Amino acid sequence: MRRDQNLAILGAVVTGAVVASGLFLLVLGRASPEAGARVRGVMLDMATPVLAVVRAPFDALAGLGQGVAAHFGTVERAARLETALAAAEARLQLAEADRLALAQLRRLERVAVPERQLVATARIVSVVQGGVVRSALVSAGSRQGVTAAMPVIGAEGLVGRTTDVGAGAARVLLLTDSQSRVPVLVARTGQAALVAGDGSPLLLLAERVGPEEPLRRGDRLVTSGEGGVFPPGVPVAVVYDAGPPVRLRPLARLLGAGFVRIEAGWLPDAAVLEMGEVPGEVVP
Amino acid sequence: MAPAERRRFWLGHWRLAVPVASVLVLMLVMLAPLPLGMPAMPPLMVLAVLIWGIFQPGLMAPWLAFALGLVADGLMGQPWGANAVQLALVAVLVRGLEGRFRQRPHRRDWLVAALVLALAMLLEWLLMTLAGRPVPLRPMLWQWLTGVLAYPPLVALFAGLQRWLLGRAAGG
Repeated sequence: MRRDQNLAILGAVVTGAVVASGLFLLVLGRASPEAGARVRGVMLDMATPVLAVVRAPFDALAGLGQGVAAHFGTVERAARLETALAAAEARLQLAEADRLALAQLRRLERVAVPERQLVATARIVSVVQGGVVRSALVSAGSRQGVTAAMPVIGAEGLVGRTTDVGAGAARVLLLTDSQSRVPVLVARTGQAALVAGDGSPLLLLAERVGPEEPLRRGDRLVTSGEGGVFPPGVPVAVVYDAGPPVRLRPLARLLGAGFVRIEAGWLPDAAVLEMGEVPGEVVP
Repeated sequence: MAPAERRRFWLGHWRLAVPVASVLVLMLVMLAPLPLGMPAMPPLMVLAVLIWGIFQPGLMAPWLAFALGLVADGLMGQPWGANAVQLALVAVLVRGLEGRFRQRPHRRDWLVAALVLALAMLLEWLLMTLAGRPVPLRPMLWQWLTGVLAYPPLVALFAGLQRWLLGRAAGG
């Protein structure tokens, strides 16, 4: 009887200590968000091979609808074609970015524009679809040269940016996460703004700069290059509901997997800039 | 104890690890890239801790739930401690409610589970705010809804798993 009581007390003390240490960790994380980044990286590395297996049935299901047979060679060929297609789409995007840059150059004359630089092409192996965090894991890490704060671009448009990086895997903060902020331009009017996530499938438009020209449904938003992480001219979203409040639909498929490009931060010192810390003043 | 004997002793206790292993498997399922539009993935880990807390309170102690939560924090990119404190407190709460859960019709169970789940989601929201990363509440409402729907099949799954384990234990 005495032993039971002692055990119960011990259990309560252990539980209290554990919960207290958890709260301590949370507050500590608030002070230094980078703490434990190494541990996160190692965990990503351990989980990614397992996830590559876990996702196999989902891939199979997705493939079934498109009539992709279980034939091994066919699957391989499909994957190769998909890679080629992703590369082609990315080239198309680059072309569009070049066209925009050219137009700007004509206006400004002789402006040095940094080059976009591909770091790795990787596959999305998992997506966190909880209500709290919206992130994905990709199968490329520091071994491929990936670091934190790199833009991640899919075939149809911007996917997000890298946060935690392991040796062979990295976490991508998706556009839809409530922490995500992307500086954009409205392609039709040239107005600068921020695209923000709120955990739902649609995006918000925040902090519009300059004269308020009404948006139309179907207006395209492209990255502005402001902040230095995302290269300019990458398609981000289209206006879904001209509002108010304005709701946007991301162009890239953020769910379901695909190949993505991980590029170097657009400006060399981009990694220094904190996410979301975008200057309010934008020169058009 | 001879090495062979010692090995048999440890291998004979692998069943004790099944609840923890099942939670880890569900964590990987939560990470699977499903083509879902809404944040509709049910909070499987909270449900798993809840259900094992009812079935086998000894095998889902709060400190164990805490450790599992830390793994989830690392894998899902949440601040260290957010899932950990949430799961630990769910385990504590279930221990407190254990007397009520026992010998009750399933529908009442479901109601209590829905309430515990709502408390857990609210707690997570509070913890994220404490960590300096406030999140909107509405996506969590979706998750609560899918979680409530996922409860009965998960109970059936774990009940089957437990029966299977007990059968194996009895059979040797």
